[in-house]
Amino acid sequence: MLDAILQNLPYLLGGFLTNLQLAAFALAGGLFLGTLVGLGRISKRPWVYYPVTLYVNFLRNIPLILVIFWFYFVMPILVGRTMDPFVSAAVSFIVFEATYFGEILRAGFQSISKDLVSAAYSTGLTYRQTATHILVPIAFRRMLPSMITQSIITFQDTSLAYVIGLQEMVRRTTIVDSIEVRSVQLYSFVAILFFIICFIGSRISMHYEEKSRKAKVL
Amino acid sequence: MLAYKFDWGVLWRQPYGEWLLQGLWLTIQLGALAWIIALSLGVLFGTMRSVRFWPLRIIGSLYVEVFRNIPFLVQLFFWFYAGPMLFGKTLQFKINAISGLNYWVAIFALGLYTASRVAEHVRAGFASIGHGQYDAVLSTGMTPLQMYWYVMIPHALRLIIPPLTTEFLTIFKNSAVAMTIGVAETTFMSYKIDEQTFHGLEATTGAMAIYLVLGMTVVKLMDFIEARFRIPGLMSR
Amino acid sequence: MIEIKNVSKWFGDFQVLADVDEVVQRGQKIVICGPSGSGKSTLLRCINGLEPYQKGEIVVDGVSLSDPKTNLYKLREKLGMVFQRFELYPHMTVMRNITLAPIKVRKKSRQAAEKKAMELLERVGIPDKAGAFPANLSGGQQQRVAIARALAMEPACMMFDEPTSALDPEMIQEVLEVMIGLAKEGMTMLVVTHEMGFAREVADEIIFMDEGRIVERGRGDDFFKYPKSQRTKDFLGQILK
Repeated sequence: MLDAILQNLPYLLGGFLTNLQLAAFALAGGLFLGTLVGLGRISKRPWVYYPVTLYVNFLRNIPLILVIFWFYFVMPILVGRTMDPFVSAAVSFIVFEATYFGEILRAGFQSISKDLVSAAYSTGLTYRQTATHILVPIAFRRMLPSMITQSIITFQDTSLAYVIGLQEMVRRTTIVDSIEVRSVQLYSFVAILFFIICFIGSRISMHYEEKSRKAKVL
Repeated sequence: MLAYKFDWGVLWRQPYGEWLLQGLWLTIQLGALAWIIALSLGVLFGTMRSVRFWPLRIIGSLYVEVFRNIPFLVQLFFWFYAGPMLFGKTLQFKINAISGLNYWVAIFALGLYTASRVAEHVRAGFASIGHGQYDAVLSTGMTPLQMYWYVMIPHALRLIIPPLTTEFLTIFKNSAVAMTIGVAETTFMSYKIDEQTFHGLEATTGAMAIYLVLGMTVVKLMDFIEARFRIPGLMSR
Repeated sequence: MIEIKNVSKWFGDFQVLADVDEVVQRGQKIVICGPSGSGKSTLLRCINGLEPYQKGEIVVDGVSLSDPKTNLYKLREKLGMVFQRFELYPHMTVMRNITLAPIKVRKKSRQAAEKKAMELLERVGIPDKAGAFPANLSGGQQQRVAIARALAMEPACMMFDEPTSALDPEMIQEVLEVMIGLAKEGMTMLVVTHEMGFAREVADEIIFMDEGRIVERGRGDDFFKYPKSQRTKDFLGQILK
């Protein structure tokens, strides 16, 4: 009954690995860019605030799948040759997820009391030093549960790279299904795999939420 | 840079412009119909997660955890490809022969998925109402079922209009995923235009504009509903 | 050392500071008191450039804050500031709280910065807390760390914004003692506070502010015994109960 899965296991798991890799890039890039976006959203300089706000509000109204297509069409034009779907997908994800991480971090930054920032400035620290040593570490710690939740969502979103032909797990499942036609087993399998990872992730997030609720240290 | 000739006329030249508008119409249908399912099931499961009777709470939690932790694309493919097979060999072929099956499966899957998110908002809404009202209503002799139907659910729904607005917006965004099973909605159409004209960049940019306008309309609509059904005396904005 | 010339500040339509004029000499200790909303905290924040002002001029050690070319960061190194709610960095140990600015701004080595930090912790009376986190300290201990943190940059003048207002009564004394010690060592100090006992003992000059203006100035006991304006009398009556 489970033959279709067992015989194609390495192939399918190889696809799953691609989802994980894509998620890793998306998270690394998305967190970095998201930090800049978050800082930009609390900036008092209009030439920073307005473009960043426009960018965030624009991307949050558009389906991710469309963003993936858009970059898939844009990047060959910019770069001058056809693109590896993984790279195209990674760029799309980084640009897209940065808006969500940015908004989460913005809430984190805004939870820091103005006087704490004043205290840092009063010792002579520059904006960049204050942001690096004070704002970012505190915001990350405070928003950790939300960041974990968003990371899980990002991981789920990697399945959408299917549409540009990336050899990730969903695409490989459809390929195997077209041969074996054991749809129920195969799609249940990919569903269960995602479920396990995301469920564990959501438990970890809840654990940190409980921890910070009790400690109230930060 | 590749020499690329932009052709923005592709957006309103026939038949491509019309394709995009047809796609928009389908996006609206998908979102609206799935939203009806999502609201009904979401209220049901959200209520189940909040009652005292623990077997119902467990069923509700199971539903939410399952549908929240699996990507929507995977759910969609499951229902579309594996779903018919669940009905046994004879019915399976009849089902697959239904024309427009992908349309109905997409609405069904989108509704189920979104319902799990609505359920969480409903649960949060009940939690913020607090025990006092619960006890007060029960003490007038109503059964729990009546209490939920006539008092708690209407109250909670008004409280959670902002997060529901977000979910309503999200349902239109997620409707784009239906293109993977061939539903001819906006994103599908922009891809189809690329297949015909190789001007996918313009087409997808046009599709983006459509989603933006749709999003703004939804927000205005929900603002209107919030104002109309506002609870006086409670902090709204 | 600090000259405040005719400074006015508005938040929108609301005037927060009105024609404030004052000179602070090196080594002077000045206490500022007044009802809440009188602009005392805002004045302190204008002096180190945390808040801008619209009219007048503030000059610190010959450098004017009105000059757009002024390097505010360099200026802030000369002015240490202690806040009502301590504002220690919650994610860093006491030691790191104190050494962060000397290392990043003055480019001191870690050993040099930590050596100085330990000296300062001795001076404020809690050398054993170097490795602790702010959350593990009492309010009084946190405020003393905050003082050490400000002193680590070797400022020429220390500004205190209601340093004991957020403390439980039993801890007020330990912080005031540190401040008195600082005063005796000759530090220039600007202190916004309601602690009139401290003012009596330490202050060269006491300023009473109300609605953004300096209403009255006095020296020591004269100020308390012979307040000139009615508002001063009312205010002193309230807090000296």
